[in-house]
Amino acid sequence: MEKVILVGGEAGQGIAVTSHFIAKTFSNLGYFIFNYRDYPSLIKGGHNFNVVRISDKPVFSHKEEYDLILALDQKTIDLHQKKLKKEGFVLAGKNLKAKKIHSLDIEKILNKLKAPQIAGNNILIGWLLKYYGIKKEFIFSTIKKEFKGKEELVQKTVEEGYNLAKEKEKLKKIGKPKYVLTGNEAIGLGALAAGMDIYIAYPMTPATNVLHFLAKKQLENNILVLQLDDEISVANAALGASFAGARVMVGTSGGGFALMTEALSLAGMSELPLVIYLSQRTAPATGVPTYTGQSDLKFALSAGHGEFTRIVVAPGDAAETIVRTQEAFYLSAKYRLPSIILGDKHLGESDFSFEELKKSSLDNERFILKNPPKNYKSYQITANGISPRAVPGQNVISRATSYEHDEYGLTTEDPKEIVRMVEKRLKKIKFIEKEVNKLNPATIYGQGQNLLISWGSTKGAILDALPSLKNFRFLQISYLNPFPQEKILKEIKKSKKVFLVENSATGLLADVIAEKTGRIIKDKILKYDARPFSSQDIIKNIKNL
Amino acid sequence: MKAEDFNTKTEITWCPGCPNFGILQSTKEVLASLITEGKIKAKDIALVSGIGCHAKIYDYINANSFYGLHGRVLPVCLGIKAANPELTVVGFGGDGDTFAEGVAHFVHSCRYNVNMTMVVHNNQVFALTTGQTTPTSEKGFSGASTPLGVKTEPLNPVALALISGASFVARGYALEINHLKKIFKEAIEHKGFSFLEILQPCITYHNPIPYFQKNIQKLDENYNFADWELALKTVREWDYSFEKDKKVPIGLFYKKERPVFEETWPQLKKPWYTLKREIDWHKISQEFK
Repeated sequence: MEKVILVGGEAGQGIAVTSHFIAKTFSNLGYFIFNYRDYPSLIKGGHNFNVVRISDKPVFSHKEEYDLILALDQKTIDLHQKKLKKEGFVLAGKNLKAKKIHSLDIEKILNKLKAPQIAGNNILIGWLLKYYGIKKEFIFSTIKKEFKGKEELVQKTVEEGYNLAKEKEKLKKIGKPKYVLTGNEAIGLGALAAGMDIYIAYPMTPATNVLHFLAKKQLENNILVLQLDDEISVANAALGASFAGARVMVGTSGGGFALMTEALSLAGMSELPLVIYLSQRTAPATGVPTYTGQSDLKFALSAGHGEFTRIVVAPGDAAETIVRTQEAFYLSAKYRLPSIILGDKHLGESDFSFEELKKSSLDNERFILKNPPKNYKSYQITANGISPRAVPGQNVISRATSYEHDEYGLTTEDPKEIVRMVEKRLKKIKFIEKEVNKLNPATIYGQGQNLLISWGSTKGAILDALPSLKNFRFLQISYLNPFPQEKILKEIKKSKKVFLVENSATGLLADVIAEKTGRIIKDKILKYDARPFSSQDIIKNIKNL
Repeated sequence: MKAEDFNTKTEITWCPGCPNFGILQSTKEVLASLITEGKIKAKDIALVSGIGCHAKIYDYINANSFYGLHGRVLPVCLGIKAANPELTVVGFGGDGDTFAEGVAHFVHSCRYNVNMTMVVHNNQVFALTTGQTTPTSEKGFSGASTPLGVKTEPLNPVALALISGASFVARGYALEINHLKKIFKEAIEHKGFSFLEILQPCITYHNPIPYFQKNIQKLDENYNFADWELALKTVREWDYSFEKDKKVPIGLFYKKERPVFEETWPQLKKPWYTLKREIDWHKISQEFK
């Protein structure tokens, strides 16, 4: 069973809520869903749409073949009806026109109920759910969960639509409710699971929803959420908080991350833990602010002046995001370095569904000495390069510095001392590599002689395409630094043909692979129209190659 | 606790005779006396510096310290207080540091009213980079980057602090040590954002010592520091220029308590690092089902 439903209209007409309602009703019945969100940068008007894909098997991406278009304006029909399946049709109010349409007199019902215009969406939803044979009680229990305080109106309007429809199919409850969440919610959840104390941000799409999510939850979870005056403040305040012993995360997109890069370098030099969520959007510059892209890979890997190491981890779906966020916190605290979680709009704002939500079993240890010794040195040289950490308030002197320094953190310009400290910081790398190798840094899916290599949010479309591709495996790289080059090289060597898949114009991962393994990947499946890949895009591209 | 207890073994590399020595000594004495009086604890001191001559103070005081980036002292201070509101935070910045690169942070910090002290060593010049103009250099100042003379009027940072909502605004003079120590101590004791400007002549690149010796004037004992309008009028008496003799007032211009940043957050009660977090995964993940 698979249904693909497009919900479209103007911004402000409740497109996201409507699609979420449909998705949640099905996920509560045990179906898997994927909900793709497409919206321009404006508050009212324009054209927004969501694509809800519903299936009895796991799905990780959207499709561009629709069973039904729930249209709230004419533009939705004009733009999308060409992608209706043969038996597909448009469901809309009486005032709209389409080649194949089922119209409802929404105005009449709203007038009768004296209900606001926005409630018209519920009439369409009620009709749609009855059409697919969903029992009323299941719909009402979803309403109870999702519309606290507004249940009565929603229920009444849904029922009106429901009563107008005839059952076409009989979709039943097929299992336990699924978990549904976006990548941004997963970042928030992962941060809570990691024991984060403080989240600091400046609003920037597509990372802003993490700020909203955590801000709403701050009191019940006893965390502090701050919006400061710019990303430079955000990153420097985060380092101040880290110095004083808090577990901190900041979140932004490419432009904001650009402003943070000087502080990123400071995190490298001062060896203060810091987790950065970098949610990419279409760039350069302002780019296409509410759309997706993967063009910041090399920026994330090399941002900040000077030589210092960092973690760069790129989860491929919301469930993985939870675990990778915890890992980012753990590695950052243990090795005293910045961790970058590299996501994008497609990962951050799409709804994913899962049978289970698991967190990592990693400990939330702060890696701060309980009783630091009398002669404590903030930058003590140790066998693995990790200096034990103390914080202000602990009866010893703690120092953090942007300047080259001795073991106490006092400034030095002495060449021998400089070499000792540079080497101390770099010494950590091989220990981090060992630890990251245990965290499943690259994963193989499927079987076949040919190989697709990718990273980040393309995972969903590739996984959904894989069963239709003959003789293909998929290598998902989750850790971009430290880079699991041995495993990658091994997989490349084993393969007849190798293709790179990336939401960019030049295929940045190919450059990274070339740098780390010496292998050049020539065949690239790229997409740079600011939209994510669908599984059909992948299949079509491979057939054309 | 004595001032000497804060000494480090680091060699001091300010120019011989630099008024920064006076600021350093004042800082150590003020901190020592606050500790002796039981008002603060040595272990809870956190000093933050920017980049420039002033910032060398990081190496000369044996206390918890953060040597930050040029212009970024204030967000670091805010972060420290957000992580541990029990700490006594003193930020040190230069005039270039605070009013060129970091002026946005300064304006917002006055607004936020974090309970901390910001000390600006104002020498009206970028000294460590060999004598370029800063936002507080007087019109006509001729430096390496402005051989034709500065064409713009200087910024008045004390007036800016008042207008931006700072709850403690004062000025000291690095060569009036006893007066400086007194207002420095009051600044740390004030609950809220304290801005202390210290006129610190640069004996190498910008030396108005004769002008200051002649024109510096302590505020009258009866001066009413609760009067904001009076404060603004008083701080505008001198416009950071040296053309004509004008009174250069020093002292506490304005002080008024209002709610501090840290206390406005109900969840900010004790240092986060002392908290052992127990995560109820079932509870936090169930809402997505």
